[in-house]
Amino acid sequence: MLRFLIRRLAAAVVILLILSFVVFLLEHIAPGDPARAYVGANASNATVAAQRQALGLNDPFLTQFWRFLGGLLTGDLGRSLRTRQTVTADIATYLPATVQLVIAAFVIAVVLGGLFAVSGALRWPGASIGRGLLLLLATAPPFLLALLGLIVFFGRLGWLPARGDGNFEDPGPTGMQVLDTLLHGQGDAFLDALQHLVLPAAVLSIAPAVAIGRVFRSSLQGVLHVDYARTARSKGLTERRVLTHHVVRNALGPALSMAGLQLGFMFAGVVVVEQVFSWPGIGNYLAASIPVDDFPAIAGVTLVLGAIYVVSNAVVDLLQAAADPRVTVH
Amino acid sequence: MVNRLLRAPTLRIASVVLTLAVATACSSGTPTSSTGAGNAAAAPTNGNLTVGLLGDIGQPPDPDIYYANNGTAIMINAYEGLVQYKNNTDTVEIAPRLAEKWEVNSEKTVYTFHLRKGVTFHDGTPFTAAAVAVAFKRRIAVKGGAAYMVDIVKSVATPDDLTAVVTLKGPNSAFLSYLASPFGPKMESPTGLKTNAGSDNAQTYLGTHDLGTGPYQLTAAQTGVKYTLTQYDKYWGAKSPFTTVNLPVYTDESALELAFDKGTVDTIVAALPSSSLDKYSKAAGATNYFLPTLQGALVTVNSSHDFFKTPEARVAFLKSIDQSALVTKVLGKRSEVATTIYAKGMVSGGADKQAITFDASALKTYVAALPGSANKKLVIGYANGNVNAQSMANIVTANLQTVGLTATAQGYDTSTVFGWINNPPTGPDAFIDGNNGPDGGDPYMWGHVFWDASGGINYFGCQSKQVNDLLNQSVKTGNTAGYVQAGDLYGKTGCFFNLSYNKDWVLAQKWLTGVAESQNIGANELDFSKLGIAK
Repeated sequence: MLRFLIRRLAAAVVILLILSFVVFLLEHIAPGDPARAYVGANASNATVAAQRQALGLNDPFLTQFWRFLGGLLTGDLGRSLRTRQTVTADIATYLPATVQLVIAAFVIAVVLGGLFAVSGALRWPGASIGRGLLLLLATAPPFLLALLGLIVFFGRLGWLPARGDGNFEDPGPTGMQVLDTLLHGQGDAFLDALQHLVLPAAVLSIAPAVAIGRVFRSSLQGVLHVDYARTARSKGLTERRVLTHHVVRNALGPALSMAGLQLGFMFAGVVVVEQVFSWPGIGNYLAASIPVDDFPAIAGVTLVLGAIYVVSNAVVDLLQAAADPRVTVH
Repeated sequence: MVNRLLRAPTLRIASVVLTLAVATACSSGTPTSSTGAGNAAAAPTNGNLTVGLLGDIGQPPDPDIYYANNGTAIMINAYEGLVQYKNNTDTVEIAPRLAEKWEVNSEKTVYTFHLRKGVTFHDGTPFTAAAVAVAFKRRIAVKGGAAYMVDIVKSVATPDDLTAVVTLKGPNSAFLSYLASPFGPKMESPTGLKTNAGSDNAQTYLGTHDLGTGPYQLTAAQTGVKYTLTQYDKYWGAKSPFTTVNLPVYTDESALELAFDKGTVDTIVAALPSSSLDKYSKAAGATNYFLPTLQGALVTVNSSHDFFKTPEARVAFLKSIDQSALVTKVLGKRSEVATTIYAKGMVSGGADKQAITFDASALKTYVAALPGSANKKLVIGYANGNVNAQSMANIVTANLQTVGLTATAQGYDTSTVFGWINNPPTGPDAFIDGNNGPDGGDPYMWGHVFWDASGGINYFGCQSKQVNDLLNQSVKTGNTAGYVQAGDLYGKTGCFFNLSYNKDWVLAQKWLTGVAESQNIGANELDFSKLGIAK
């Protein structure tokens, strides 16, 4: 187990180094001018040139990269050219909202995926309609789905809000409105935060739910008819007991693997959903940083997302090992 | 079963239908229905006004740093300058603000301001003449994009608490326009600046607070989320019924429109595309205002490219643009067809007539005379996300095809656009701005920024020494004839075409009053203290 963790950690460091180099290179060869964005579009060329010098953008590529790496080692991701705050502070501000959104979406995706799989494997009557609907929704691009959700649930029905993650004015300690309102014992604010969360989380969960559900279902179907399941049934165990005690655990591996993959994809794909719902997370932060070439912000978020992806995959491997006795981690 | 369903053509068709249905619902925006913009929303009774922002303000709300568009509302409501542009008129007139009156010497080197009495900063300290020098000094120290406005100041004398005598390093007739600009120097509490100076001239503090004298205080600033302004109790001027102004940030246009339709948002200032005009012009619950600005739709030609090496080619290209049809079709009520090379009202009497007139045959003749080996491929650029500019680029491109050229329209990120000046050949052949303008209403500010390669918005560096000299001479005296001549000469280069006089489209709930009275030609935003609620 320790060897596994060390290997994963070393791999993560290498992956993040490569990632940061690629992002740095892309930013360097892109034709934009961060200094212009920094001082404003109408600024004179002389002002822009002075700012470029002050920001160190005239330094050779490797010098800039080395400086970036040096900062990285001390936890300094630089200062955002747009917000003028440190990128670390910005990420600390915006990441909790994204984590809250992704966790909620992940929970919904796992529940829906589970229902999708079990209802299919056990051939629940009428369940194919629900599965068909889920598949149908998953075919629509997320931004269209998000807009449809807005039009129906905010515009037409007025049940859910259009933007943001809640109106709780005193967030903390987690930065996640749902959790913070609970911790502060604010019932109304909790419900408000929940209302804000439902639609974006649901939109974000649809495609992963189908992906998880399909893999889990196919895995379930395979395990339902293996020898030990038949033996369990012949011993007089109920179908429910066979499913929960013998089938699910053995069928969980591929679904967990897919869930881990989807969790990583959710973090990467959260940008679109956060944009439509004006969700104050790092997806929105990233989307606002890209057009103005806010390199420190772009690089910082990319590294954080990369780290989350690597960690989530490692966690999935560990969970797989815990769930399926046949799997061991090396 | 589900897999079979997936493979079934019916589900595939259904999925396409769903996508199309969603796309249709989205592309038509929010329907003008009984629950939409057709119904009048009720006026607020809690003193709250909600002004929807499309996208974040982009920079910290510090008056010496802020040099963008979306956050001007915060600048002009939390801070005040010595003068401003006169509200509710389409001419460029300087009006009093913190200075009640002023005198300018004949050399345009000494500006004497007589300040308003009884004004206090939001930290409670009194506003006196001493604040003028402090504000100018901080602007220089912070080195923001608009620092040039006070770079020309030699000294500020304060013979008494209510008089500030500003002496410039040299004559400059545009100085009042600098001060009236929304990006111009604003008065900040010297005490507050000192107390919160930190190591960055109070930049950190002013990222989330304000130290102005305006009718509202910045009481919350959550970048990318929302900004809140709270009425300043001790404001020297009239107060509106709105004690709190919320500025939530929407990052999706459809969501913002939906919020307006539901009455969650009370007004949207210059944020929606022209494609939404039709919908709201028919909406009974909304009022549309088209208010004058110094902005325009512009065409800039890249003289570094082979095809446009000569003025003859550039002028022929500009003449091939059916300006009237283009502006009317794309911008509609949001603009007027420009007849002058400067913004409307900048040069009195409209003496700066633009020489380019529509003549489709000019470019056709020019192209026909080109040798067979000549490059006939053109790229017309526009800024990504600017729907109006994209539409105009598409129309121009289509017209170019008819004269035997191969033309394509291409979008560019703003940061890329501003990088072309360093290497003009990397830019497109021409660029269409949907909406751009100078910092203020003096003709020098227009000519310098668009025509001088060092000005900032001369994308491809096409300039003329004679034009620059004329501008630099005219700004010393305010000589209108010089500006007219500069405009005339620059027009002949074929590098620039002023397509339209753009207006701010302000969409407001029916009950909101005072909208036109709260806007001025330079601000592109509303002075919230002048807004009201219909009885």
